[in-house]
Amino acid sequence: MAKSTIKLRTKEKGGLIQVKSLITHPMHTGLRRTKKGDKIPAQYITEVMVEANGEPVITANWTGSISKNPFISFSYAGAKGDTVKLSWKDNTGKSDSLEKIVGKKK
Amino acid sequence: MKRRSFIKSALVASATGAAVTGGILSSNAVFAASHEMDMTKAKSFDEAMKMMGATDAAESDMIKIKAPEIAENGAVVPVGITSEIEGTTEIIALISNNPSPYAAKYTIGAKAKASVKSRFKMAKTTDVVAVVKANDKFYMAKANIKVTKGGCGG
Repeated sequence: MAKSTIKLRTKEKGGLIQVKSLITHPMHTGLRRTKKGDKIPAQYITEVMVEANGEPVITANWTGSISKNPFISFSYAGAKGDTVKLSWKDNTGKSDSLEKIVGKKK
Repeated sequence: MKRRSFIKSALVASATGAAVTGGILSSNAVFAASHEMDMTKAKSFDEAMKMMGATDAAESDMIKIKAPEIAENGAVVPVGITSEIEGTTEIIALISNNPSPYAAKYTIGAKAKASVKSRFKMAKTTDVVAVVKANDKFYMAKANIKVTKGGCGG
């Protein structure tokens, strides 16, 4: 299995599920240049969708102002055993997704 | 004679050029209002607020921004935004001094807590403005972050 671009951690605490995720992505703004002076084309994640048991929990619309290898953390009301799915899309059409069951070791 | 006609045509050309650019800009603004992703075209904080229709956002102390006062590296600045306003549906982060201030929008689902944390890029010392949409009204809060090394291009 190819290594996923997404790292996903979930933790249950008092009825809340804390979700933390790191995505490996260059997040180029389109403003930077290489040493030769050529512009690096913009490539950044435009949408991150998080679903729990198929229901959307949080949707993030991002721009080039988000750091490289972005991190997102939030919590929602849920329980152990929920299936948390995170997927992202970038402006060049690339995407990835990862599913995880809360409280279950992989 | 030749020189005169050259100047004349040059003048005409530049005038039409300016008109065209002006036209493109205004049509962009109109387009942006209807299309989410074009928010990135907002080049100033005021413009971004206008595009969102949030110019009348009221400052609220129910919105908490958790961020360092001084960021050593503008390429990675952790910012957490929490809204205690009931019925929060959207959290929008704006970095006012960035080349395109509109940074991120989080749509909060029914189950999710209105609290998100991400890492942002900041070009220079700037205000981070959190705009929260709750019950079709906008609220905002500000935090100033001193950046010693910028993280947007360069």
